[in-house]
Amino acid sequence: MRDIKFLLKKSAGRDTIVRRYSSRYRRDSSEMQTLLKNLLNAWIAKSCQLSAITNAVISMKTLIIKSLLTSLCQREERFPSIKRGLRGVFLLLPLFFVLLVNSGIAKETGLSEESQGCLGCHGKKGITASFENNEFVEAYVDAEKFKASIHNSLTCSDCHIDFSADKHPERRFRSKEQYTIQLSRVCRRCHTQEQIKAKSIHARLFSEEEEGRSHPCTNCHGSHSIIRVGKRMFKNEEQYCLKCHGNGVEMEFKNGEILSLGIDISLLNDSVHNKLSCSDCHFGFSSEEHPQRNFRSRREYTLASSENCRRCHFDKYTKTLESIHFSVLSQGNLRAPVCIDCHGSHSISHFGKERISIARRCQRCHSEVYNVYTKSVHGNALINESNQDVPICIDCHRVHDIQNPLTLEYHERIPEMCGNCHADKAIMGKYGLSTDVVKTYLTDFHGVTLSFYKMQRETLTKPARPIAVCTDCHGTHNITSTRGTSAAILKANMVKRCRQCHKDATKNFPDAWLSHYEPSLKKAQLVFVINRAYDILMPVMVIGLLLQIILHIWRYAINR
Amino acid sequence: MKDNGIKKDIKRFDVLRIIEHWIIAATFMVLVATGLSQKFYIFEASQWLVIKLGGIDAVRLIHRISGLFLTFLTLQHIVVASYGILFKRWRPVMIINKKDFTDSIDNMKYYLGLTDRPACCDRYNYKQKFEYWGILTGVLLMIMTGFILWFPMPVTGFLSGEIIPAAKALHTNEALLIFLVIAIWHIYNSIFSPDVFPLDTGILTGYVSRERMLREHPVELARMEGLRSEDICGQHDSER
Repeated sequence: MRDIKFLLKKSAGRDTIVRRYSSRYRRDSSEMQTLLKNLLNAWIAKSCQLSAITNAVISMKTLIIKSLLTSLCQREERFPSIKRGLRGVFLLLPLFFVLLVNSGIAKETGLSEESQGCLGCHGKKGITASFENNEFVEAYVDAEKFKASIHNSLTCSDCHIDFSADKHPERRFRSKEQYTIQLSRVCRRCHTQEQIKAKSIHARLFSEEEEGRSHPCTNCHGSHSIIRVGKRMFKNEEQYCLKCHGNGVEMEFKNGEILSLGIDISLLNDSVHNKLSCSDCHFGFSSEEHPQRNFRSRREYTLASSENCRRCHFDKYTKTLESIHFSVLSQGNLRAPVCIDCHGSHSISHFGKERISIARRCQRCHSEVYNVYTKSVHGNALINESNQDVPICIDCHRVHDIQNPLTLEYHERIPEMCGNCHADKAIMGKYGLSTDVVKTYLTDFHGVTLSFYKMQRETLTKPARPIAVCTDCHGTHNITSTRGTSAAILKANMVKRCRQCHKDATKNFPDAWLSHYEPSLKKAQLVFVINRAYDILMPVMVIGLLLQIILHIWRYAINR
Repeated sequence: MKDNGIKKDIKRFDVLRIIEHWIIAATFMVLVATGLSQKFYIFEASQWLVIKLGGIDAVRLIHRISGLFLTFLTLQHIVVASYGILFKRWRPVMIINKKDFTDSIDNMKYYLGLTDRPACCDRYNYKQKFEYWGILTGVLLMIMTGFILWFPMPVTGFLSGEIIPAAKALHTNEALLIFLVIAIWHIYNSIFSPDVFPLDTGILTGYVSRERMLREHPVELARMEGLRSEDICGQHDSER
């Protein structure tokens, strides 16, 4: 027993023990050899799990006990110094113990005896096999993982065909790669070429193999931890996909364009989608399915890929259906942007606090407008002062449901858009701007007409003519400040603006508009005086008349 | 009055004047409806009316055509009245004279109980004269400012641009004032006043009772019946 223990300690192979043991005690009957093997298997596995021993022993039932007792009797002749009773207890103690254990536990292990034997050595961490180029591979097998694997019913030698309980040949490999290629050939013993080819994901791998680039099965499927291929079974689908897509995989389109399908994992990890797995977006793709798809061009592929976003972001998606971008796209202009054109794909992240980053996305296509904008009072403040109050593209044009800005409906919403900030005292206060601008506009001719036109649009279908809104006088993307501009120049510019609608506007005509000022003693005195005069006259008149009426009624009542 | 034996309706208005009154009244109402719904555009009732009339452009067109019509009515009124006074020897009954001021003071005293009889008035009493002139000048102002607002380009050709918002302020304020005067004073005096309630039918039939004439326009009645106004003044009250 000490020998056995010693050998076990030295992590020698099971076969070695059996060989030595049987030779020492001259056990040549094949029955006894098997028994011993099984017992040792159980013993070795004890280091992993007690139930493994139970399994081994119970399967032998009474035979093992009989044989062991025989063996002990014969051993006694050789070692008379060891007292019989003591020897018996020594060896039988664990046996009795395991026999007491319910046989139900034994069923749990599921590992073959051979596997358990191998695990005796290969179940310990640190065991490695090295190659000629000094590369090495871990020869350690995690028993738990193996048990969880789909191959847990196989024995080690089913795959490691050169090895068995008796054979543990020394092999030489030039490199780790050569080793894995060699090893992967074993898979085809069970999984036929045809079966493997039937999965579309493998098609390309085969074609590449013909070109000399081999793809060992274990690269993707793993070796001892191999589990059933299936979307949910893969705990880390990302790793699975990146086995290929982490390297430079390419996709060729019908028009000859080539798209790299390689994914930079660090970008993906930094993205907002870092918790998603590949197939969450790449719907239809999984470790089971990898459909071959044909796109005419790279752009078509991009357009199709953006459809994936709607599965989660349906609200945004429906908004985009109302956008000018979508309508342009549906008219056949494939250059119209889709989700990933603005948001990116794998590197998708939150737009930062720097609002200019959003404007720059728009700039990619709308560079002319962007350039004009940068020179405006708003754009200038954004770029040069990093001002976060000023409007950027999306504040007026909206984000997903971007409207055609050339429609009357859009035009009519402009005072509302400008009013979002220019009627906000908190924002305007910072820059010493008046919030009266919106109110004075809305209460004057243009504003009133506009508000009626908006109302009419809902009930009457009559087309209305355009009414001057903020941008018609102030400009749109090129809005500049009027500060520091002389009144004469402003007025001269204003006439030009007026004449866009009022063709025969005279040079006095702009004064008909009080330039957003409320009438006061300083501005528009005449209007101010008239308004104040009526403020007095009207109540005086009404109260006077009512008094007369009351007096009249009173007198009439007295006279009756 | 019945036992007085004199129960005779007296002709007060010509058919043409009755027609004129009602045409002006209708025009006025159209102007008020279309005008105030623009002034008080935030009210739902205004918005409802504007939509019903076919939109703000339609409302403005109606308002301008009605305004044009009222301008015509006003001018014909002035022309007819001037012509009648100058060439047909109509008595200038609407001219405000010193008596109207003393009448108003006398009437106030009567209302307050300081005297026991009201002012002794002619065909039109001081209230009616003041109302007439107030409305007439108001309407002229409305016409003037209305045309300025209708044609701002030619106006700013020779006047300052500020005339436009000033005209608007005048137009809109004066409109409300006239409306209030008509709605409070005129409607009271022709419908709700205890003297005429439930309705002063004079402007429908052209005739009023002698009793009313005696009470309200004794001077004219005296002139019609060839009496001295002093004799007839206060008769109504003393009979009571």
